[in-house]
Amino acid sequence: MEFNVLIGGEGGQGAFSVELELTEVLTKLNYHFFATKHYMSRIRGGHNFHMIRIADHPVHALNGGKWEMVAALDDETEALHKPDLREGGIFLSRAMTKEVGEESKKLFGEIRSANTVMVGIVLAVIGVTPESMAEAAEPGRAEYLKKGSDFAVQWGIAGAFPVSRAAVCLVKFDGNQALAFGALLGGCRFMAGYPMTPGTSILHYFSDAAQDLPVHFEQAEDEISAINMAVGASYAGLRSMVATSGGGFALMQEGVSLAGITETPIVVAVAQRPGPATGLPTRTEQGDLNFILYAGHGEFPRVLFAPGSIVETIELARKAFDLADRYQIPVFLLTDQYFADSVQVTEEEDIPLEVITREYPLFDATYKRYRLTEDGISPLTFPGLSDSMVRLDSDEHDEEGKITEDPDMRKRMMDKRLKKMGLLEQEAVLPTFYGAGDDAAVVLCWGSNRLIVKEAAERLNADGLSVCVLHFGQVYPLTPAMITPYHLEAKKRICVENNATGQFAGLLKRELGIAVDQSVLKYDGDCFTVEELCRTLKGLLT
Amino acid sequence: MEQKIETGWCQGCGNFAIRDVLEKVLRELPVPRNKIVFTSGIGQAAKMPQYLDVNHFNGLHGRSLPPAVGIKLARPDLTVIAYSGDGCMYGEGGNHFIQTLRRRLDITILVSENQVYGLTKGQSSPTTGLAVKNDLSPGGNPNLPLNPLALAVTMGAPFVARGFAGDKEHLKALILEAILFKGTAIVDILQPCVSFNKVNTYAWYRERVFKLEKPLTDRYEAIRMADLWGEKIPIGVIYRNDEAPCREIKEIFQVPLTKADVASRLNMRCVMMR
Repeated sequence: MEFNVLIGGEGGQGAFSVELELTEVLTKLNYHFFATKHYMSRIRGGHNFHMIRIADHPVHALNGGKWEMVAALDDETEALHKPDLREGGIFLSRAMTKEVGEESKKLFGEIRSANTVMVGIVLAVIGVTPESMAEAAEPGRAEYLKKGSDFAVQWGIAGAFPVSRAAVCLVKFDGNQALAFGALLGGCRFMAGYPMTPGTSILHYFSDAAQDLPVHFEQAEDEISAINMAVGASYAGLRSMVATSGGGFALMQEGVSLAGITETPIVVAVAQRPGPATGLPTRTEQGDLNFILYAGHGEFPRVLFAPGSIVETIELARKAFDLADRYQIPVFLLTDQYFADSVQVTEEEDIPLEVITREYPLFDATYKRYRLTEDGISPLTFPGLSDSMVRLDSDEHDEEGKITEDPDMRKRMMDKRLKKMGLLEQEAVLPTFYGAGDDAAVVLCWGSNRLIVKEAAERLNADGLSVCVLHFGQVYPLTPAMITPYHLEAKKRICVENNATGQFAGLLKRELGIAVDQSVLKYDGDCFTVEELCRTLKGLLT
Repeated sequence: MEQKIETGWCQGCGNFAIRDVLEKVLRELPVPRNKIVFTSGIGQAAKMPQYLDVNHFNGLHGRSLPPAVGIKLARPDLTVIAYSGDGCMYGEGGNHFIQTLRRRLDITILVSENQVYGLTKGQSSPTTGLAVKNDLSPGGNPNLPLNPLALAVTMGAPFVARGFAGDKEHLKALILEAILFKGTAIVDILQPCVSFNKVNTYAWYRERVFKLEKPLTDRYEAIRMADLWGEKIPIGVIYRNDEAPCREIKEIFQVPLTKADVASRLNMRCVMMR
């Protein structure tokens, strides 16, 4: 059983607040849900809509079918979304939501109470009793929810689509929160940033954490400064990160290159949005894979993660700091607006909670920051801890960090840095496989499409189609061990990506010699839905 | 006096004198050597930390200050000194210069001021005078020179000074005072470039510089003093404000972050779409 509701309105009308509060209350009531939004790059006006899928089982994608309920806070919602209402579905017309607004204002003295009343209506529709609402309500808002319940009863829609609560304990995250949470587990202590949608809430989460925890957030004057601050903090001994989107990352590239030659650990989170340039600021895309893969002048090792679930995001964000630190390299976390802005619940017992700690080895005055070693990794220490001087230079340097133009030393330093790539390949995070193993077709995907593709494949399997899924949470480096067990050569290979040129398919070909038979690409700024992907894949598989 | 050291500088470069001064400063500072970090950008001046026995972060062109900010925020126990030339500090890094002053951190900013790009061989810098000719501006520099001291005072920097590479004792006292000052301190150091600046030579400066007896404490008088250039050029502390509060920094380094700390961040409220 599931219930899909769309709430649409102009920016500033309260649809977003309804989503925020509804997801809070649903979490307290322990419901499985997935919520995402389609919003415009403006503060007021335009047309935004919020999509919430509530179910009696785990859901991590938009269904994409008809809506059980559409609530219109503006006229456009009726025109655009009422046609997608299922038979017997509930339509809250503009007149009805206006009545909610007016009555709420009259009763409670402030128009914003109407948002909570709307939440109460939705809760009543899925069968939440006023008593349960009162338990889950934020302080002083139980009355508002009760009023919503009254509306639902009055309109005959209370309990129209009952959904039962989960049997397991659930925890709520949006994608950016999961990333920041994982960063804390990875021991991240310093973040510098400049706001850019859709990466901004990572900064908010961290800055909020800095109020109580031993971590620091600094708002930089621009992204160039942000990454240089973070590299500085990392040099001084704190695990550090920056978070931005493609345009901001464009400014950070020289800093990535700096981290590359100075072998300073740094984690860079990029929540992608459609480009080029300002593109579609509040929509989604996976268009920056190649950009990030090659970002920064010169050649140096790096790792790119593109997680596709809340737990995977937490785990890979945590691992990113560990890898960055141990190998003294930049590590990237690629997400996108869709994942960043989607709110979902995960079983509490699946959430990792172990914090990674690091050692602070001490050396004497003979310490050389870039000592040439067997594996290319020089012992790392920080200024002021011992008699060791820590000397770092963005110029090519010798073992002591002194500038050199000696061809032999240059080559040795390049070899030293690039040698780490081999070790990183051995530590590569293997992809996630869903399927039987002998399926006729495989859908390859990366990043945020993981659970959309997974659910689509499950539906196709139910329809008798033989298809499996291989999702890459690590997109670089790609290693043969990642694909060997799955005999991709014997299957029809379809790659699903949110971009126009099939960047990951190209990478698979270049790195592993695997050519995909077909690419399913979407680059209109919206995410895939399960239903939509099912239709497309069915066309390709039958 | 000067130690024999292989440098990338031209014979007679003002940077030699500054290096000499910095060596003495490092010896005389009541701070353990391993607690001092120099950051720098790129350029001839920015090579300075390479020629000193000290921790250094020689970063990117224009970016001596953001790492200095990052280091200080991460490790308030370290004495952080950013060193670069006028091109790096006021041109490529001009916005960082302005914004770093706003951060109210206890760091020192030292600038080799030679009114020219040395490493790239003689182009105009942000402080090159109007109509000065060089290979890249054969018709004369069309731009007004930036006044770093007036800018710093305007931005609220609490310690703003000018030194001269031709007066080492005075410069040493100035830099020591700047580093020991609690707050952001700037010393713009007149540093003759013997290869590419044929106007602002040692002799030219010697005829013009005069020492301020004591620091000015009135901002508007300080701006007027900072504006003085030409016949008479002041050196010394142009502005000093001991009342300006310095930002407090939380100790983070090696403070444990526990499982309970992180778990306390579960089920946080989502923020509005940003």
